[in-house]
Amino acid sequence: MLNLINGPQTTGNGRGFWLAFLAVLAVALAYPAFADSYDVGNFSYFLIWIFMALGLSLIWGYGGMLSFGQTFFFGIAGYSYGVLAIIMGGGSTTILALVLSVLIAALAAVVLGYFMIWGRISGMFFGIVTLAATLSLAFFLGQTAGPEWQIGGARLNGFNGMKGMDPLAVGDFYIEGTPFYYVMVALILVVYLALRMLVNSSVGNVIVAIREDPQRAEMLGYDVRKYQLVTFAVGSGLAGLSGALYTSWGQFITPSSIGLPAAAMPIVWVAFSGRSDLTATLVGSFLLLFGFQTITIYSQQAALVLMGALLLATVMVMPQGFIFGIAQAVSGRLRRAPAPSEPDAVRLQADGS
Amino acid sequence: MLAELFSLFYQFADVFAFLILASAGLAIVFGMMGVINMAHGEFIMCGAYVTVGLVNLGVPLPLAQIAAAIVAGLIGVLVEVFIVRKFYRRPLDSLLATWGLSLIVTQGMLLVVGSAIRGIGTPEGSFAVGDYTFSTYRMVLFACAVAVLFGIYLLFMRTRFGVIARATMQNAGMAQALGARTGRIYAVSFGIGAGLAGLCGALYAPTMTLIPTMGATFIVESFVTVVVGGANVLLGTAPAAMFLALVRMALNASYGQIIGQIGMLFAVIVIIRILPEGLSSILARRGR
Amino acid sequence: MKAIRNICAAASGLALLVCAASAAHAADPLKIGLLEDISGDLAFMGMPKLHGSQLAVEEINKSGGILGRQIELIHLDPQGDNARYQEFARRLLNRDKVDVLIGGITSASREAVRPIVNRTSTPYFYTNQYEGGVCDASMISMGAVPEQQFSTLIPWMVEKFGKKVYVVAADYNFGQISAEWNRKIVTDLGGTVVGEEFIPLGVSQFAQTIQNIQKAKPDWILTINVGAAQDSFFEQAAAAKLNLPMASSIKIMLGFEHKRFAPPALNNMHVTANWFEEIDTPEADAFKKRWHAKFPDELYINDMGYNAYHAIYMYKMLVEKANSTKLDAIRKVIATGDACIDAAEGKVCIDPKSQHTSHRMRLVSVGPKHEITVEKDYGTIQPYWLAEIGCDLTKKNDKDQYTPSHLPKKK
Repeated sequence: MLNLINGPQTTGNGRGFWLAFLAVLAVALAYPAFADSYDVGNFSYFLIWIFMALGLSLIWGYGGMLSFGQTFFFGIAGYSYGVLAIIMGGGSTTILALVLSVLIAALAAVVLGYFMIWGRISGMFFGIVTLAATLSLAFFLGQTAGPEWQIGGARLNGFNGMKGMDPLAVGDFYIEGTPFYYVMVALILVVYLALRMLVNSSVGNVIVAIREDPQRAEMLGYDVRKYQLVTFAVGSGLAGLSGALYTSWGQFITPSSIGLPAAAMPIVWVAFSGRSDLTATLVGSFLLLFGFQTITIYSQQAALVLMGALLLATVMVMPQGFIFGIAQAVSGRLRRAPAPSEPDAVRLQADGS
Repeated sequence: MLAELFSLFYQFADVFAFLILASAGLAIVFGMMGVINMAHGEFIMCGAYVTVGLVNLGVPLPLAQIAAAIVAGLIGVLVEVFIVRKFYRRPLDSLLATWGLSLIVTQGMLLVVGSAIRGIGTPEGSFAVGDYTFSTYRMVLFACAVAVLFGIYLLFMRTRFGVIARATMQNAGMAQALGARTGRIYAVSFGIGAGLAGLCGALYAPTMTLIPTMGATFIVESFVTVVVGGANVLLGTAPAAMFLALVRMALNASYGQIIGQIGMLFAVIVIIRILPEGLSSILARRGR
Repeated sequence: MKAIRNICAAASGLALLVCAASAAHAADPLKIGLLEDISGDLAFMGMPKLHGSQLAVEEINKSGGILGRQIELIHLDPQGDNARYQEFARRLLNRDKVDVLIGGITSASREAVRPIVNRTSTPYFYTNQYEGGVCDASMISMGAVPEQQFSTLIPWMVEKFGKKVYVVAADYNFGQISAEWNRKIVTDLGGTVVGEEFIPLGVSQFAQTIQNIQKAKPDWILTINVGAAQDSFFEQAAAAKLNLPMASSIKIMLGFEHKRFAPPALNNMHVTANWFEEIDTPEADAFKKRWHAKFPDELYINDMGYNAYHAIYMYKMLVEKANSTKLDAIRKVIATGDACIDAAEGKVCIDPKSQHTSHRMRLVSVGPKHEITVEKDYGTIQPYWLAEIGCDLTKKNDKDQYTPSHLPKKK
């Protein structure tokens, strides 16, 4: 099974790639030794969002389904973690709260996914339904300010946000700072490798086949809906992981993490990086998060203009996504499968057929 | 009794006008051309700001509004030629490009014009029915929405340009082979879409707060209306707006604004589940 | 002889070293971390806040700084995003190691920052009026709270216009809690709340609301709608000739609607606050003159900007009285009950039990041409509510936010 880490659906299969990968990993592991504790904390903060980006890469890049719902599941898991951590009393139970909240998000994804996929909703309609669900949740949570909105003593507290939950902890020891950093690096590593194995497996091949041509896949005998549901559930579960980790990190979650413009951000990161490849998404999203924060810190009011210009320039000059554009500019030798064709259904206008 | 009935009609007309005016431009740009225009709200903002600017210079309001729509349309043509044109074969990338453009424009406006500008008042005029008083201008908005629908229908169904435009949207290669200047068609159509967005901003400018991010108020409703309308935007957008306006109005009246807002979103989910291709899929079958 | 000379040389060398060291230390700038939105939806409220802080820092530095140390103002723009507030609060506290943190506009941003501040020993100044109730030893609140705003405004409105109120509130914590306060005070006065409407943030169309108000026939309206979209209510209500008296704890003084909307949209609006630019006492005029000298294009010096300016003066006073920047030392000064400054509104003191400030409250009304008239001066009002319900920061740190329906547990 480990040989599935390399395969046709992921770039970077050769020796050069894996050597570079190990080098980066080594630097990452050694980083806390020579870096400021603030920078370590800041980097682990960026890593929190990467799961959501990888999940969307799976759903959209590999599965061809444009989901605006990543922050929907982010929010469900985030609030679930908060409620569970408060109800169960914190301490070591936070680990269980984390696992349960991701499972709750995945379960919600199965329900919403079943509703949409078995209803043959696809293309932009899929996006709008997920957006409508996301906004509904955001609006609903935003008005839960009153004391009656509580689950087992944990107040949702509406727009001002839910707080009072413990961060991830083992007994009395809070996992923060450098330990949290190592936990994040480990999680990213595990998830990244697991996703590589998933997309390079036969399951992954079918998912990509469905993206390319759903009818053809169906006629070859695959139940398209089941594969799409699995893709959606896994990708959304990853968004949930981001949500629970975020809530643990800041001991705080608000509906503004769910609604617009937060809901559009995963799409921006993934579209910028090159959504159809896991490695591109991982590297590109991290760089974009880091870049946006740096721009905001150092250029104050001009920040948003620069960010917009960066996005616009990237998509005009590097159609494959930022990472591939850079890689091609640098090496020119990156060989991969041809660019995925856009699913026809993204346009509403019928093709005359 | 009459007052209550009229009040209900007024509510409906108000929401319907908002949905139609907000989504008309997007219906053409997204529905017909397949461009996901995340900067749609900024064309609306542009129309509003130009209107206010002209009125402050002494131009009468209706003239200012028409001028603003034209300005937005011209800017739309430029945006199409320099940016959007590259994305016809990659519609999902148009999302990222226009999102970037939207960031640049909103923040740029803030830097250049400031964080808030002084508004212009709603034109005078109100009338009373029973215990209620209504602003005449809101009925003007409703009339404009209906006029916009008629205008789009006439333009795309009854003029030569309209026929060629629809042909280009359906099959650009074939249209080009038959002699259509597709580049020009695209530019003009996008310009019309942008101009309609500018018109929305111009019409609503006297009634709203003017800040650079004001486009965000319109964008969700407009996308939702266009998508619920479905593939045939000429057939689908109006019924979609009617349906959503009814739902919103009924829920607002009975349960309050939060239920109205969430309820409308639920209605969107339900209607797409029932009709996965939008409203126009059943209308088109029966229409022809 | 030689020994004595050597000892003198060593002693003077040591003295010089000590002098140099302490001089170098005294030259260390004092760092103030600032988190204010200058982009995004709230930019028009955040800009005056940044300006207020910059003006105060410039003035204080010119007159010698705090304890002989110059102030370095480190500002980061969170762009109205709660996650950025968290990121930047961490950055300012952990990396820049600021001595004090100031900022935040929405209550959500404040609540996002508080857990992060609580893990350090850095004081945090929140400079907006808000729904009240935060009982946190790390936080000093400079803004007005409901017992100062509503217990002055609502009785005045009931007496002048009548006992039937319709409430138009933003549908989140601030709006709901303010509506709670209103209900309590109105019923105590024998009045009725004939209708309450909670509007989700971002909604900008109010036809239904206007109809509902006309149906309910109130004597006056309490408008606690929030955000640029919801502000469209005033224009639409005026266009529909609603023509009812209005009252608010946030309009005019925060978002200067009377400058942004064409008359007569805000006609007959009444507001209570500790600061309006239209106050014309000699202190207020001097303050306004200094502000406009540095920022001639400022559309309006809003309450937030005013509070931000005075927060830095308050901090200066605290540090100088404590002779230290440590939170514990500052809190000792506050506990004496003598933590006061002479602000442009009048004297402002920090209440030891709640660490909120007393304010000189004034009620203003808006005329048909948007002219402002000061109707009543209530004098100094203490922020008494938190102490009343049991918050006592001199004895314990609750780190919680209370509301009329979420009170501290009785032991």
